[in-house]
Amino acid sequence: MKSGLVFILFLIALTSLCDTINQLFLKSAINSLASPRGNVKSVLKFIVQLLKVPRVWVSFIFSAISLCIWLVVLSQADLSFAFSADSMHYIFIALAARFILKEKVCFKRWIGIVLIVVGIMMVSLS
Amino acid sequence: MSKKKLGLKILFFLVLTDFMETFTHLCFKKSALIENEVVLTSFSEVLIFLQSAFSSPFLWLGLLSVLGTFILWSSLLSKIDLSVAVPICSFSYILVPLASIIFLHEKVGLFRWSGVLFILLGVVFVSLSASERERALE
Repeated sequence: MKSGLVFILFLIALTSLCDTINQLFLKSAINSLASPRGNVKSVLKFIVQLLKVPRVWVSFIFSAISLCIWLVVLSQADLSFAFSADSMHYIFIALAARFILKEKVCFKRWIGIVLIVVGIMMVSLS
Repeated sequence: MSKKKLGLKILFFLVLTDFMETFTHLCFKKSALIENEVVLTSFSEVLIFLQSAFSSPFLWLGLLSVLGTFILWSSLLSKIDLSVAVPICSFSYILVPLASIIFLHEKVGLFRWSGVLFILLGVVFVSLSASERERALE
């Protein structure tokens, strides 16, 4: 049972990681275009333009991988546990921001991350 | 463009995204349920499992709900700040376990609820620090 738990947590970490990569690519693709004005027509035009950016497709591939792993996780674990543990992506994003993008991560955010880690541990051990 | 304070209408739609997200995950869980708790050990077993999951209508309902949530969420974000929206949307960390109890008959003990509470607090702290950043940028 314990090794099973570790494996499930590893898979959840993997989906969170894929999600983080997916968000990074999506954000960078969106940043490469001018943001649309409020009306529906310009939003639709924006989406069509967005689909021509290769990075969007990279992001789609990662979200597809993430979905497949997520389905495997759900087949093995309780939803109430898996969904809570998926909040791991907050940790990954903060770490990526700190060490890859070299952003400053403020004290409050570290407190938040510690709380999330404690929460995930409690949810996993119950 | 200045963003408005949180109005009742926006609050309603934010809570709606919480419910939609919960619905999405219920659908995914339903599509991933296998009759007799098979442990997936080999890659070919995983592929067979994914094939059955993708042929479930629940999965496609879930994906439709993802799309709907995404559209609603991004239009809401053009109206309010992310640091306001995220804490309200982390309400789904409570909704999902509740829905798991009601619809999936999962058991959630006091210890697990406490864990959920810690995660919720953590998410609020993370988004509070985002609001500081927004203020600094103004």
